[in-house]
Amino acid sequence: MGPAGAPVKQWKGPAPNCYNISFPHQRSGGDMAFKRRETVVEAVDLNTITPEDAEKRIIAGVKKYATNEPNWVKADANTPFLGHIIGMGIESSNLADITMSIERQFLTKKTRRVPVSEGSSEFRLEDGELGKLRILDGQDATAATPGLSIKMLMDHGHMPRNEAYLGKVVSFAYIAAIGDGYRMNDALRKMIAKVEKLPGTEREEAAANLRSMVEQAKNYEAVLSDAAKLAAARQKTFENDKAAYEALSKELAVVTDKLKGLSASNDSAQLSQLRSEEAEIRTRLKMSAAKLRVSQEVASAAGRRTPVEEAKVQEIRRLLSDSIQAASAPFANAV
Amino acid sequence: MLTPSEISALRRQSLISALFSLPVCALLFLASRLYFRYRFKDLAAFRRQVWAELDASPGPVIWAANHLTLIDSFLVFLAIFPWNRVWHWRRIPWSTPEYRNYYQLGGPIQSRAIRILMYLCRCIPFLREGEDEAAVSWRERAFQKCLWILNRGGTVFVYPEAGRSRSGWFESRKPKDFLGRLALAAPSARFLCVYLRGDHQLYTTVAPIKRESYRMHARIVPAVEPGETHPRAVSQRLFNILGELQERWFAQWIGPKNCAGNDLIDLGSPGSREHFPPEREEPDWEWIDRHLTGKESDYLRSQAPESLMKTFWKFFTGKEAAHKALARSGIKTPVGAFKHIEIDLFRRKAVHLPTGCQVDIAFTPEGEDVVHCLAVLRGGYIGDEETAGDVLWKVEPVPDGVSPSEFARERCLRFIADSSDEIDEASLAFSVEEEAPVVLRSGRPQDWGVSLSHSGRYAAFSFMIS
Repeated sequence: MGPAGAPVKQWKGPAPNCYNISFPHQRSGGDMAFKRRETVVEAVDLNTITPEDAEKRIIAGVKKYATNEPNWVKADANTPFLGHIIGMGIESSNLADITMSIERQFLTKKTRRVPVSEGSSEFRLEDGELGKLRILDGQDATAATPGLSIKMLMDHGHMPRNEAYLGKVVSFAYIAAIGDGYRMNDALRKMIAKVEKLPGTEREEAAANLRSMVEQAKNYEAVLSDAAKLAAARQKTFENDKAAYEALSKELAVVTDKLKGLSASNDSAQLSQLRSEEAEIRTRLKMSAAKLRVSQEVASAAGRRTPVEEAKVQEIRRLLSDSIQAASAPFANAV
Repeated sequence: MLTPSEISALRRQSLISALFSLPVCALLFLASRLYFRYRFKDLAAFRRQVWAELDASPGPVIWAANHLTLIDSFLVFLAIFPWNRVWHWRRIPWSTPEYRNYYQLGGPIQSRAIRILMYLCRCIPFLREGEDEAAVSWRERAFQKCLWILNRGGTVFVYPEAGRSRSGWFESRKPKDFLGRLALAAPSARFLCVYLRGDHQLYTTVAPIKRESYRMHARIVPAVEPGETHPRAVSQRLFNILGELQERWFAQWIGPKNCAGNDLIDLGSPGSREHFPPEREEPDWEWIDRHLTGKESDYLRSQAPESLMKTFWKFFTGKEAAHKALARSGIKTPVGAFKHIEIDLFRRKAVHLPTGCQVDIAFTPEGEDVVHCLAVLRGGYIGDEETAGDVLWKVEPVPDGVSPSEFARERCLRFIADSSDEIDEASLAFSVEEEAPVVLRSGRPQDWGVSLSHSGRYAAFSFMIS
C-alpha cells in the first residue's frame, strides 16, 4: 500500500462500496432555519465608525454560525472564523454567510461599477453614492478572521486605512501557521491522554505513534522559531502555484497558435470551439492569478513577523514545548 | 488496405526520416539538455534493461506509454534511445500524434516548420475526436499504416489512453481497444510498456517544467498471449502492466500516491436548509451563486424546485471532497474559493479550474436526508455500476453530546482496524500533515488517503486501499 509497508491484500469485506448508510429515526432537529431575510440589520457607513466598532459588528454578525460558543464569546480581531480549537467553529458551508453578513452590516461609497476592460462583464467598484457594501469574488480569500476582514475592507477602499489597527492584526500567513501549530498540539495532547489509559502491550504500540508525533511537533516548533524557515515552507505552495500559472499560460499559447493556424481555413465549427476554449482558459488563468497572489502574499508575509505575531508564535511554541515535555516525562520508558 | 500511393508515401517518409535521424536526434538531445535541462534518473541501467530484451528478438515492437504532456513522445524516445542506436532505423518508432494538436499551429512559417519536424520524427497524424465518416476513415487509415509498419518489422508508438490523463493518473480499469486491435492484427509484435514521469508532474500540462527529473520503468511483453482473441482482453492486460509500472513509480516517490476525499451534508440540519426555505418559491440565489460557476448555476436553475436543495448540496459536497483529494496531492484551493472547482454531475467529474486537473467523484447510496460524496484524484479507482471502487467509507450518526470531529476520528480508526486482520486499532492514531489528517500506524504515516467529514447529526470517514 504505502511506503510504510502496511498490508495490502488482507482487507476484509465484500465490494468496498457496499457499506450502506444506516440512519436512526429522524431526530427532531427543528425545521425552522434562521430567517436571515426577516432579520432587520441596520447598516452603517464604514467611514463613520472605527475599525474596532466594525470588528465588533462582524463578530456579532457571525454568532449564529459559530458552533464553538466559548471561543466566539472571547473572539477578537485574530480569532479565526473556522476551526474548533481556537476558532469560532464556523463550518466551511457557512463561509459565504460570513461574507454576506459583513455586506449586510455596512454601507460604502465604493458602489459605482466600472468594467475592468471594454466589453468585459467583470467590474471593479469606484466611488459613487453611499450604498450597500459588495465584496467581489475572491476579495475575501484571506479574510480568515474579523481583523483580516477589516483589512480586506481597508485594502479595497471601503474604509480609511488605519495602520495602528492593522498593526494588531495577525497576517493570514501566521493565522494559518499558528492554526497548524494548535492542531498539532491538540493531536499530541489527545495522544498523551490515550496512551495514559492503555494497558501494557497496547500502550507500547501507541507509544510509537506518540514518539512520531513528538518528532513532528519538535520539527514544527523549529520551523515556527525561525521566520525564514516558515517562509521557505510557504514558498513551496507559491512555487506550485507559479508552476500552475505558467503551465496554464502555455496552454493558452497553444490554443492561440491553433487559432492562428486555423484562421485561414473555413472550418467555422472548429474555430468557434477553439474560441470558446480560449475564453475558458482566460477565465481559468484569472483564477490561477488570484490564487498566485494569495500564495505570494502568504510566502512573503511568513518571512516578516510583527510583535503581535511574535507573541502568538511564542504562545504556541510554549504550548508545543509543554506538550513535548508532557509526552516525554510520564512515559519515559515507553517513549 | 492502403493504396499504392499511401504505401509509397510511407516508404518515402521512412527513407527521408532515416537519413535525417542523426540531426533530428541531435536537435532533440540538445533541446532536452541545454534548453529544458531535463534529467533522467538511472538512465544507463534503464536503457541496458530495455535493449537487452529488445535485442533478444528482432521482431516488430509497439511502444505503449502513459501520457501527461504534449512532448511525451520525445521524452520517452530520449529515455530509451542511446546515440549509438540512431542507425537502427527500424527501431525508431513511428508516432501517432493528434492532428489538431500539432499540424495547425501558428502562422504559415511556424506551421510549416512543425510539419517538417513531425514528418522527420516519423509521425502519422491521428484524429481522435469525431464520429463522422471522414474522422472514422482517417482513424482507419492511420491504423492500417501502423499495421503496415509493424508487418515489416518496424516500431510504432501509441498512447493506450488515447489522450493526456487529466488527473495525472493512469487508470488501468478503463482500457481502450485500439492497442488490442493492433496487437491482434500484428500478433508477432511485442509491447514495450513504459511509465515515465517527472517528480514534479502532478497533472496534465503542455510540457513539464524546466529542470524536471524523470524516473521511468519499462517491461516488454508479447503482443498477444495464448488464448487472447478479443481486443479488450489484450488491452486490459497491457493496461494492467502499465498500472503495475505506475505503482513502481509511486513506490519510489516522496509524495502520497493515494489522494482521496469525502464530504457530507446533513440535509435535515437547519444550516443546510436556511437558504432553501420551503415557504418561499425561490431559494436564496444570491447566496447560491457565491458557490457555483456559471455552468453549475445554469444547471441548477434548470432543476425542478423540489430537487434544487439536494442538487446544490451535491455540487457543494463534490467541491469539498475534490478539494480534499487535491490538497493531499499538493494542489491547494484557497478557503472559500468554491468557484475554483467545477462539478459535472453528469460525467461525475470535478475540475480544478486553475490547473485543469480532474478528479473523479461519486455519490454514495443516498439516504433521504444526507448527501455524501467521495472523490479520487489518484491512487485507485472510484468505482462504477459494474466495478467496485477502492475507497472504503462509512456514514454514521453522531451520538448526542459527543464532539463530531472526535467521533469521526475514533470511528475511522476502528473502521480501518476492522477492515484488516493485520491491523490492531491500538497501533493507529491520527496526526496532521500539510493541514490534512493522516493516520499513523506504529509511528509511521500511512498513505491511505484518509478523509473525515461531519455535518449536523452525521459523521463520515473514508480511506483508500489500492
